[in-house]
Amino acid sequence: MELKKLWALVRRNMKCYFKDKFLFLVSLITPMILLVLFITFLRSVYLDSFRDILAKFGFTAPDKLLDGLAGSWLLSSVVSVCAVTVAICSNAVMIQDKIEGSINDLRTSPVRDTTLSVSYFIANFLVTLIVMLAVIAVGFVYLAAVGWYIPFEDVLMILLDTLCCVLFGTLLAGVIESFISTQGAISAVSTLVSSLYGFICGAYMPLSQFANGVKDFICVLPGTYSVGIMRKHFMGGYVDKLAELGLPAEGQKAILDGFDGNIYVGSVQMPLWSMYVILLGTCALLLVAYITIVVVRNRKHTAKRAA
Amino acid sequence: MIIEIENLRKTYKDVVAVDDLSFKVKEGELFAFLGVNGAGKSTTINIISGILKKDGGTVKVFGEDIDGKTEGIKSKLGMVFQNSVLDKRLSVYDNMKSRAALYGIFGKDFNVRFDELDGLLGLKDIMKRPVCKLSGGQRRRADIARALIHKPELLILDEPTTGLDPQTRQAVWKVIDDLRKTRGLTVFLTTHYMEEAAVADYVVILDSGRKAAEGTPHDLKTAYATDIIRIYSHLDEAEGLFSSNGAAVRRERDHIDVCVKGTAAATDFIVKNPDLFDDYEVLKGDMDSVFLSVTGKNIREA
Repeated sequence: MELKKLWALVRRNMKCYFKDKFLFLVSLITPMILLVLFITFLRSVYLDSFRDILAKFGFTAPDKLLDGLAGSWLLSSVVSVCAVTVAICSNAVMIQDKIEGSINDLRTSPVRDTTLSVSYFIANFLVTLIVMLAVIAVGFVYLAAVGWYIPFEDVLMILLDTLCCVLFGTLLAGVIESFISTQGAISAVSTLVSSLYGFICGAYMPLSQFANGVKDFICVLPGTYSVGIMRKHFMGGYVDKLAELGLPAEGQKAILDGFDGNIYVGSVQMPLWSMYVILLGTCALLLVAYITIVVVRNRKHTAKRAA
Repeated sequence: MIIEIENLRKTYKDVVAVDDLSFKVKEGELFAFLGVNGAGKSTTINIISGILKKDGGTVKVFGEDIDGKTEGIKSKLGMVFQNSVLDKRLSVYDNMKSRAALYGIFGKDFNVRFDELDGLLGLKDIMKRPVCKLSGGQRRRADIARALIHKPELLILDEPTTGLDPQTRQAVWKVIDDLRKTRGLTVFLTTHYMEEAAVADYVVILDSGRKAAEGTPHDLKTAYATDIIRIYSHLDEAEGLFSSNGAAVRRERDHIDVCVKGTAAATDFIVKNPDLFDDYEVLKGDMDSVFLSVTGKNIREA
């Protein structure tokens, strides 16, 4: 019975998010910013960069391949960043419940506090995943239109990466927003994260273009590795195609190094498995922190007076 | 007893919200809780309903201590909050469905219950509308429907008619009265409206977190209310006489009001001054007067 109640709460929380058009739009600010940047100048900047790199190796590639490569770079940024920004906004349902007093109504019903807390987490995870899958679907249609070179294994890996990123975003949102209980604070956090997160995880600009100190700082943040794994699987097929067309290994490395297909800490290239370890390890730490917060909160039962 | 509270205490940092409060609510009665804003009414009902944790004392609801497992208590308790706490962007139907599920009411059972509530409160015309688009009265209907979705035995109403027009207030009370008559529902009410408290079976007046008085409305009026003799003739003589006796007198256009302590004092005045009483009436002190006497505060101004 408690599971049925949990599912009813999850559905209720998800409906509350999707019916709030403002919240939904705010959570899509990041992909919209990236899209505008891409359309206005990033696409041509990256295409020029790709051509410059290839020219150093006396190599030219078909426009279709380069367009797809630029698009896959953009899409890897969008997916990894939105997994956090959408989760932050979607989790606002929990805070709105505190502000509007709905949490008190839920607490007068025979539902365990733990069930309530878990329902917010699951709903946030599912909402973020749904939005992400929709973004990926739209992105794949675009890539198919301009040039599709992503092998099926990488598509599966992208879906797995998305799950990891969504888990990371949901846990991060859960921990950060546990301490928020006002409309002003949630608006500030949503706006700040939506606009800044992309910069501090290297999603808006390749890490190679940052100064060394900033780059080192960004490499300390686990979000960087969520972008890193996405880049590997979105861009891998395109670089393989370049190799197939005759681009030497140095050229492939130059493309991957210049556009975060390879991530370096100092001079050490981070292997793919280490990025997963860092990302999932952070998820584990966030999960412990989240559970601790929920347990302490429920024990204190510090609900404020009814509205 | 449906509710038994002894020596309840609750503080918010340095502020004592409820202090050594004790009272009982009997099955099937309409129990009114009176107090100005900040008197501790909402704190008390939030403790009873399991939203807030108490600092001291004992609270038993349906014979069960709220310090133990509260699922049993909560499944028999419905609450209408001071402000609507339904999900504003969801429709009335979706709100009812999601709340009913929390009581284990799903599928056909929910549809049957929704139809019953529709018969009681007229929900069909608003069922598809988002709560944020409802008028105050419609929203209150939805709030009450939500509180009744699981057929509770105890209904807690936190100032349920505040801000409603008289017609809607009357409609709300008709529903509650019908439920009391047909189902023996126990109603725990906090209100600012003295006319609502006046029809309660039992009243507790709360002042600064402490119980200031309790009893049936009749007992309270007898003990604390000031009666008024309203005289329509010989106004100048009456005013002079009562003023010189130190009674509180208020002159109006066509009458004077003389405040007297109880019906016996009114009779005494009339018997001693029969010449002045050609045209008069004695008005029994109301709950406003009781509240003013007990707390020294006017609830309408507080």
